[in-house]
Amino acid sequence: MTGTIIENLSGRKLAVLVTFLLLCQLTCFLIGGLVAPMPANAQMMIATVCKDTTTVKNDTTKWFYNRGKGACQNIGLENLHHDLSETDFVFAFQMPLPRENMILDYSRWQQNLIGVLQIDIKYHSLMEIQPRSVITIDARMAYRNKGDPEEQWRLYTRSVEKRNLDCDIEIKSEHHLYNCSAMPLFELGSLFHDYYLLNIRLPIETPDMNSHIGHIHDMSLIVINQNGGFTKVWVSLKSVFFPSIVAILVWFWRRIHMLQRKPVLLEKMLLSLGLALCLLNMPLEYLTLYFDLPFMLLLGDIRQGIFYSMLFSFWLVFAGEHMLIQDTSTQSSLKQYWRHLSAVATGCASLFIFDMCERGMQLRNPFYSIWVTDIGTNLALTFIILAGISTGIYFLFLCYMIWQVFINISHKRQSLPTMCSVRRLHYEGIIYRFKFLMLATLLCAALTIIGFTLGQVAEGQWKWDENIELEYTSAFFTGVYGMWNIYIFALLVLYAPSHKQWPAVEDTSDTQNLSEEIEFTPLQERSSEISSLTSFLKKATID
Amino acid sequence: MDPAVHATLRRKQRRLARENPGVLAAVAKGASMAVAECQHQFKYRRWNCSTRNFLRGKNLFGKIVDRGCRETAFIYAITSAGVTHSVARACAEGSIESCTCDYSHIDRVPHRTRSAAAANVRVWKWGGCSDNIGFGFRFSREFVDTGERGKTLREKMNLHNNEAGRAHVQTEMKQECKCHGMSGSCTVKTCWMRLPSFRSVGDSLKDRFDGASRVMLSKAELETPAQRNEAAPHRVPRKDRYRFQLRPHNPDHKSPGVKDLVYLESSPGFCEKNPRLGIPGTHGRACNDTSIGVDGCDLMCCGRGYKTNTMFVVERCNCTFHWCCEVKCKLCRTEKVVHTCL
Repeated sequence: MTGTIIENLSGRKLAVLVTFLLLCQLTCFLIGGLVAPMPANAQMMIATVCKDTTTVKNDTTKWFYNRGKGACQNIGLENLHHDLSETDFVFAFQMPLPRENMILDYSRWQQNLIGVLQIDIKYHSLMEIQPRSVITIDARMAYRNKGDPEEQWRLYTRSVEKRNLDCDIEIKSEHHLYNCSAMPLFELGSLFHDYYLLNIRLPIETPDMNSHIGHIHDMSLIVINQNGGFTKVWVSLKSVFFPSIVAILVWFWRRIHMLQRKPVLLEKMLLSLGLALCLLNMPLEYLTLYFDLPFMLLLGDIRQGIFYSMLFSFWLVFAGEHMLIQDTSTQSSLKQYWRHLSAVATGCASLFIFDMCERGMQLRNPFYSIWVTDIGTNLALTFIILAGISTGIYFLFLCYMIWQVFINISHKRQSLPTMCSVRRLHYEGIIYRFKFLMLATLLCAALTIIGFTLGQVAEGQWKWDENIELEYTSAFFTGVYGMWNIYIFALLVLYAPSHKQWPAVEDTSDTQNLSEEIEFTPLQERSSEISSLTSFLKKATID
Repeated sequence: MDPAVHATLRRKQRRLARENPGVLAAVAKGASMAVAECQHQFKYRRWNCSTRNFLRGKNLFGKIVDRGCRETAFIYAITSAGVTHSVARACAEGSIESCTCDYSHIDRVPHRTRSAAAANVRVWKWGGCSDNIGFGFRFSREFVDTGERGKTLREKMNLHNNEAGRAHVQTEMKQECKCHGMSGSCTVKTCWMRLPSFRSVGDSLKDRFDGASRVMLSKAELETPAQRNEAAPHRVPRKDRYRFQLRPHNPDHKSPGVKDLVYLESSPGFCEKNPRLGIPGTHGRACNDTSIGVDGCDLMCCGRGYKTNTMFVVERCNCTFHWCCEVKCKLCRTEKVVHTCL
């Protein structure tokens, strides 16, 4: 890539552009912090223990719930009667909980629903939980919509699942509770219906099944859904970013096609980076308002994955193309970078396989979890570690390349004063371009990492002032999202080929030199065209 | 609801029960939880938190409630903690439908009107509701603290202890989180508060009982009412009744914190039966002859001595439990030595 806009942009124009982009960035951050609510909301609900009085226990049309017409008969878990059997117990969770005397319902803006099960087990010296106990759960999920009769629950999905009970206790004394870690139960990729109902049974089909789970005191379910307000803000951001990135891409590509030469590798990379961002920006969430799309969680992961892999590859290629050592014979192509890019590819592929195993499987069975079985855990860990190793290798590669670029730059710096003006301008251009991107990238990456760490350290809300409450987590998400959009927008604008005439003001002595150089390049048609420098660049490295 | 129980409620409490269907069951459950917890915590002490049939008498815990001693402080604290805990639990169960959707970002005042309720649906769709303990806390303040206007020192003591009980429920809550970002990574993390077991609330309140501080009204407090009236000529907001500072009886001690229990007078002796104070005495209580603590026979029987009986008991032992309702036990015959106070 040669003569780009950034090299020919005056300092004032650049300052105006950068200020404008920074203002956009600030707006994104503030929209998240002041307008949007928390990204997700967790609601804790305690199971109502219902008595299953039916004789046919496997009937999936019979549902148990504690509110509304046809509510079940409650039984307490404190004093269990001996005439009851385990099939008579149904733990019912009716979602969402009522508030302010209103029956609330889920909105489709709330996108997804994640359920975490928490079991409180009472200590009994006679029935201690054995370590690594497995609990078998027969979970059935039903849904109902507004306007349906109150007893008309329809089966959504059912599954018999195993989960590991991970419990410990500090004070081993009667009636103290075990401290059991929460276990992920289900993930619904779409929240299409208005009401959901979860019925849980703990079956005993073999003598071993559910025999060492102790005395269950309470069962609670934590349901996490994305907040409607957050989705609205997020989708609005997307609706703004998507057309602007598409527009700038079209402009960028037209600009390249106006040139006399074929697009070089870096321009192609920029284009594909822009396309990947467009894919990420596409406000597909609108579709979930009208269609039941359970694959949205998976699709979101894939879209993010494609974007990150493109961004990582772009950085590699960018560093490589600014090595200042150009191959004379061929135009550089992706093949040269296969070793570096294979790290990115391995990382992405292993994360993709892991995601397909977890969220892909959840499309078929929302209760599925890869972490339950030992094989699954090992498999998942393998892929995650593989992805981690590839990321490490990638960053080593990248740092090595950037280090090389800096060495080359300092070499060239020393010889700069002795060069003729065209070549000097050319090298100065490359160095400037590289340094600008390095600075911008480092800034963005640093901000992302700092923001993330701050978010992990300080949970939830931040207060700067008594009256201004900043929703930090949301601000972080919109801020980072906006930042990478603005970053790529700026790249597309600033690294597009410039139409300006190559060095307009020249000394006579330099022009002499230039004509001298041009003799080496008899194939040039128009020396004023920027593309002429592409071939010139190759010559430059030879002498 | 039993009309006899209903008759024991104050007018404001009846209104609260009417406005929040299902809440009385939760309050009753909370109260019985508090009694059970109190009796568990004081099983081995001279005062064992004995209760009477409260429909007949004035107070469930007897006349001890009218005094201002440590035990009174504990009773008040555990009761308000029980109500807070149980109401919050009922909210999570969905058995009280009027729990507030406390989304602190938008509204802090609980709404009562219809239009406000519609606004609450918007709040839920925009930012969600997650608050169970908040309603439990506020309801307990309204319900348990009825009648405690905080004017006299005794009322201030009650308010302080009630607040301490609620504070214990709130601070015993533990935060848990779930990561659900890209591919389940922790880029997005959502946290919630887990309601503590009532036993752990009881344990921490018992710790505060042992270190309770004796208080008197601070000098500054005696002067402030006049000042406050000047500063705020209109009605003093309700919340203000919780804004007071008690001064320790011993000036060398620190002034009591939010979670500390406070009392005004030293406890009566619980050794002998005292009908005037409603104390049953420790006659006939079981004690431990090897212990030198409060459950030991020396202290428990107040030096009156004890008798020792040896008896054979048939007990369940070596039990195996099977979910849900099957407990297989062997019956064991063991020799037990029981000491009882004279």
